[in-house]
Amino acid sequence: MRLELRGITKRFGSFTANDRIDLTVEPGQIHSLLGENGAGKTTLMNVLFGLLHPDEGEILIDGEPVRFANSGDAVRRGIGMVHQHFMLVPVFSVTENVVLGFEPTKSLDRVDYKRATADIVRLSQQFNLQVDPDATVENLPVGLQQRVEILKALSRDAELLILDEPTAVLTPQETDALMAIMRSLAAAGKSILFITHKLKEVRAVADVITVIRDGRVVGSAEPTATESELASLMVGRDVELTVEKSAFSPGESVFEIRDLVVRDDRGLVKVNGVSLDVRAGEIMALAGVQGNGQTELVEAIAGMRHVESGTILLNGRDVTNRTPREVLDAGLGHIPEDRQRDGLVMSMSVADNLVLNTPRRAPFARRGTRNLAAVHDNAVRLAHDFDIRTTSVEEPVSSLSGGNQQKVIVARELSRPLEFLMASQPTRGLDVGSIEYVHRQVVNHRNQGNAALIVSSELDEVLALGDRIAVMFDGRISGIVEPTASREAIGLLMAGTTGAADE
Amino acid sequence: MSVTEQSVASEVSNRRVRVIALMMGVIGLFSLVVFAFGSVSSAHSSFLFNPVNLSESAPWHVGTLTLNSRLADVLLALVMIALAAETFIRRPARGVMWRFGGVAVLFLLALLIWAARSPGPSPVSFVNLTALLIGSSEVTMVLVFGSLSGVMCERSGVVNIAIEGQFIGGAFVGSMLASTTHNFIYAAIGGAVVGGAIGWILAFFALRYLSDQIIVGVVLVTMLGSLSSYLNLQVFTPFPQYNTGTLAPNLAIPLLSKIPVVGPVLFNQSGFFYLMLILIGVISFALFKTRYGLHVRAVGEHPRAAATVGINVVRVRYVNVVLGGAIAGVGGVAFMASQGQFQPNYTSGLGYIALAAMIFGRWRPSGAVVASVIFGLSVYLSYTLTSYQVPVSLYVLQMFPYLITIAVVAGLIGRVRAPAADGVAYHHD
Repeated sequence: MRLELRGITKRFGSFTANDRIDLTVEPGQIHSLLGENGAGKTTLMNVLFGLLHPDEGEILIDGEPVRFANSGDAVRRGIGMVHQHFMLVPVFSVTENVVLGFEPTKSLDRVDYKRATADIVRLSQQFNLQVDPDATVENLPVGLQQRVEILKALSRDAELLILDEPTAVLTPQETDALMAIMRSLAAAGKSILFITHKLKEVRAVADVITVIRDGRVVGSAEPTATESELASLMVGRDVELTVEKSAFSPGESVFEIRDLVVRDDRGLVKVNGVSLDVRAGEIMALAGVQGNGQTELVEAIAGMRHVESGTILLNGRDVTNRTPREVLDAGLGHIPEDRQRDGLVMSMSVADNLVLNTPRRAPFARRGTRNLAAVHDNAVRLAHDFDIRTTSVEEPVSSLSGGNQQKVIVARELSRPLEFLMASQPTRGLDVGSIEYVHRQVVNHRNQGNAALIVSSELDEVLALGDRIAVMFDGRISGIVEPTASREAIGLLMAGTTGAADE
Repeated sequence: MSVTEQSVASEVSNRRVRVIALMMGVIGLFSLVVFAFGSVSSAHSSFLFNPVNLSESAPWHVGTLTLNSRLADVLLALVMIALAAETFIRRPARGVMWRFGGVAVLFLLALLIWAARSPGPSPVSFVNLTALLIGSSEVTMVLVFGSLSGVMCERSGVVNIAIEGQFIGGAFVGSMLASTTHNFIYAAIGGAVVGGAIGWILAFFALRYLSDQIIVGVVLVTMLGSLSSYLNLQVFTPFPQYNTGTLAPNLAIPLLSKIPVVGPVLFNQSGFFYLMLILIGVISFALFKTRYGLHVRAVGEHPRAAATVGINVVRVRYVNVVLGGAIAGVGGVAFMASQGQFQPNYTSGLGYIALAAMIFGRWRPSGAVVASVIFGLSVYLSYTLTSYQVPVSLYVLQMFPYLITIAVVAGLIGRVRAPAADGVAYHHD
């Protein structure tokens, strides 16, 4: 299928999310749409998939203009979408998920599961997408769930597949497998629109690259372009992809956990005997695919989750199963994974959020009453020092962009005396500029001789920041490697292959 | 799910199975100590197995069974303890709920034997088991209608806590129509319309205005309770001819109704009972075999995923909540038709017990039916045991369904999981 977008414009009030976007995808082509978060990629895809209606411009399929009233129309015209957050019913079988909404039926409205299963088996053989049709989706690993999504699109005779940030939740090996699938689909004549902000993947798989920024197409590139060329096109200026670090000279151990066991809300053991130590002047990066216990580990360290057994030592003090207040007072700085839930009170002002963990301390409070002038002055100073862009520090923090919200947290945590900084997914969802900024702050903290633990599922981030890299898989540390280790070696550890690290 | 996670998951469920096995054991021991050894060794309990009006000369008449109370209760208690031990040791992956249900029934039977014991050689009181089952089948029937209503609504993701209100509304209108037309078909239709309308109000607030479904439901129950009391005072008191009601006639199915003990319970019932049997089958089939059911379950689990494949989430929910309301409305008429007329607030919380039955039955029609039978029996026993010598308050027995439900909801019995989007408002954007 040949898809052409001509002058697509979509406005939300006074904000133009897509501004006269032109894009052509040829049959059998893998077309990458590269752009930062907030550049307008998702809006464009929603327009293309019939979930939003463009204010101007037209969509042509094989030269013929089409209008989609809803996603059903788009599906009928051969467009399939693999959403970033899978649209699968966890308790349904693979077959039930694939046929949902397009069921073959027998008499009495009965679903013809026999035929449905046969169709799935045929499709998965044709495109080399092996998956058990009777398996329950929630029991499948993420990579296989994604296959189910792709099968779902193919079973509706999709000729063009939109993959929206498909690698965000995959291990490097699963990513490689996905790329192989994409290539074989393209070879079979399917067109693929691959949305991402990851430069390596674009270069590895794309035939054509279109870069968008601030809702506009700012250029196209060949896959032979270098990463820094792509990055500067995407951001609009030259970007430092690597962070300058001073020489590594670790000191005493500041933070230590021993044989930690932590359960999740369902009572399952998610951290299963983890031991780690972080020294002064060192960044320990904790890598791993999401959901392997990192979240629970971080929550346990921050005092937000009960520790079943094991100990957490901060500067030699036992802080196991202390309240968050006590752990923070012991010198932990915490940049939480979900900043809007655990890091900020969205409806409160920037100034109040900046003293969220020190509200009772002088000079912000005196004899049990708040000193609002001190809170305000503190906020004005931090907004300046940490480059928080806001019209006023008395604005609610919810009015800030994601990058500036994160800066509020970073400013709050780094502006008080810390023994140890723990940051979880500190740059998730941020634009390249903000990522650069957060990385520089973390490295400064380390260069001053402090310890930090950075939890991230972004391999690039782990490699850029870590002085040592611990990899977590299935509740355990599957290995600790030097930052010079190959991506493949780390990838294997992320998939739970421990052999390489034990030597 | 990784191997470790699976083994951890099964470790957790193993612990739950052990806890439930211990509960079964405690119930068994309680029966042994209180019931078995609470009777003198010479006490007897006598059981009858015939409908009250059956002539003794009928060929299908079954004789009286007299048991030594202590011996019988010791045996029952031992069976319960054996079931508990078997569950504890083998930790079966399936059927734990059935074992627990079995222990619950045996417990009620042991209670009955103990309550009806006669110390001397000649029986002081008889337990007519068949009459008991027939009596409890009226409560069970209402609970089945209610829990099926709950299954319909909650599988699509809307909590219908207004079942009690739909019972009241259905009973009121049902009595009026039955009294004036003397035709229970009209009464059933009227009850369905009223129940469906109450369901529609719930759906309207929940789906259009995204109101909290529990609050809307509770408000509806409270409002209908007061409204029906008011209308009862204004209409039924001055014009009793509108609330004469009558008992729905029994339609005996030839031959089947003559089967001893179970025949009269299952096959000599009112039309409402047979309607209930049909509904059980139809709803099970519709939910788990048809395209419609697949859509309903998808909407209840992951509405956004359903919407992306073109399913109209809001419409599916409207349809199910209105249908569910109609089923509960008919349940209200059925209750009225088994009591003879309408009285204010006489459903006395059956709507909530029906919801408990739905949870105990894991949001499945078949499970809801099993739970309704157990709960119906215990509710009915608490009404009738006053005629026996029981030294404990019968309100304790009325707590039984709720105690079981708390155990279930606390996750003690197997894995109980509500539809993932149950009670969650759906924002269409």
